[in-house]
Order: sequence, then C-alpha cells, then structure tokens
Amino acid sequence: MTRVKRGYIARKRRKQILAFVSGSRGAHSKLFRTANQRKARALVSVHRDRGKRKRDLRRLWITRINAAARANGVSYNRFIQYLYKRQLLPNRKTLAQIAVLDSNCFSTILKTLSYDEINR
Amino acid sequence: MANLKRALAGINRINLEGLRWRVFDCKGQVLGRLASQISVVLQGKDKPTYAPYRDDGDMCIVINAKDICVTGKKLTDKVYRWHTGYVGHLKERTLKDQMAKDPTEVIRKAVFRMLPKNKLQDDRDRKLRIFGGSEHPFTDRPLEGFVMPPRKVREMRPRVRRAMIRAQKKAEQSDAIKQAIKDKKN
Repeated sequence: MTRVKRGYIARKRRKQILAFVSGSRGAHSKLFRTANQRKARALVSVHRDRGKRKRDLRRLWITRINAAARANGVSYNRFIQYLYKRQLLPNRKTLAQIAVLDSNCFSTILKTLSYDEINR
Repeated sequence: MANLKRALAGINRINLEGLRWRVFDCKGQVLGRLASQISVVLQGKDKPTYAPYRDDGDMCIVINAKDICVTGKKLTDKVYRWHTGYVGHLKERTLKDQMAKDPTEVIRKAVFRMLPKNKLQDDRDRKLRIFGGSEHPFTDRPLEGFVMPPRKVREMRPRVRRAMIRAQKKAEQSDAIKQAIKDKKN
C-alpha cells in the first residue's frame, strides 16, 4: 500500500472538541484527553438538566409565591386552594412574576380571594 | 467592650444596602421555634425576590439571649458534643453549662445548624448578631421588630400538670407560713 499520512485530520477533530469545552477550569480546557472527558460529562449534564431545569424553576416559583403570600398573611397551600376552588389556574411562573414585579396586584388578588373564602 | 468588637466584626464584608435590620426578642420564646424563624429570615426566604444562589437575607439581631426557654428536661439533658480530633477526646457540655458560659452560643448553634449546608452558610451566619441582654450597638440603624407567627401551644400532659399544681400549692403554703412568721414578729 502507498504510504498515507493522516495530515491534519486529527488536529481538526481535537480543535473542535477543545473549542467545545473552552471556559473549563485548568487542564480541562487545554489538554485534549482531559477535555474529551469533560465534553462527555458536559453533554450528559445538558441532557439530564433539561428535565431538571423545569423542576428547579417550578421550585423557585413556589418558594417565591410562598414568601409573597405569607407577607400578606396567607400560606402558599391556602392560596393555591383558594385559586383552585374558583377554578382559576394561572401557572406558578406567572404568579411568581406578578409577586415580584407588581406586588400591589398580587396583594389585591390575595385579599379578594381570602375575603371571599372567609365570608362564604 | 469585648462584645462590641465581636458584634461589629465582619460588617464591611456584608453588602448592607437594601437589607432590613430585624430584631428578635428571645424573652419567653422556645429555642428551636425561634431559631427556625431566624433561619428563614436569614436566608431571605420571606422575600418574593428570593434566589437560592445569592445571599439576600436580612440582618438579624437577637436580644435577651439568656432568657430563651426550652421545654422538657432539656436544660439538664440536652448535651452539646464535639470531638477535638484526638483519640478519646469527645467533649460534652450540657445546655445549662453553656447558658452559664455563653448564652449566645446556644442560639448561634441552633440557627447555624438550621441553615442549608452550602457555601452561603458562613455568609448567612455573619448576618446574625446575638446579644445576651437587651443592649446592642446598632441603635442608630432603622430596626424592625419581628413578630412571631401565632402558635398553638399543646395542652399540658396530666402528670406535668399535676406536678405544676403541687408546686404552686407548695409555694402558696410556704408564702403563707412566711407571712405568718412576719405577722408574729410584728
């Protein structure tokens, strides 16, 4: 067989992988063999955390709604109960954003709901 | 005053703008119940802008730490244990001794152990200032008192209640006897 030099194919492949993990700490962004492992772990994390992100954000929204509701005298579970009884289904994301950006609106919602519940 | 230096220690490490200064009064409060409220405020979980990666809790000042209460026999039976690292050197100290030695440590330990064990735990601990009496050097700040949420206190168990009634009767009798002796003297 004729002699085949591999040329720069390997270098191209390694450069691509190193570009992927640029920003990692220390040798993980400089040396190919450690960087390769880093890339594998990164891809696994991205895949797994796409599902986790939805869970984490919902947790955060619930904590925020809890804080805002308790500042107005109602706990999170009661607040959700009142909403569900009236068949109002805003999602936690919207409620949390209202609580942060427009706290007056949030208190009004809460007070109207709890007033109706108590006086039913 | 040695207390003053410790009270102001590390204040410039905290980013103080926008934080409220909440005052917790320990008089007559139960140790764990108060500590859990303090830890919620320290984490910033009572604010709708809470974020778990960032330390946004309010500064907490605790006064009258020596008047904290515990239920049951914890004053003699609750033991703080720690190991110094040397073989056989497990050290113990009861709650009673700790209160005599330094009552602020009791609350500090309780709150520290209730905070989430992550990188922010030390920063949050730094925002907590505890004083044994009711004097504190932060009187020039805008302070807000913390109102404990209402609590349903459990009814006393029959045996404990009988013991209490007996103790009351005994106290009444001894007072009556003392009064009688006084009257006789007069």
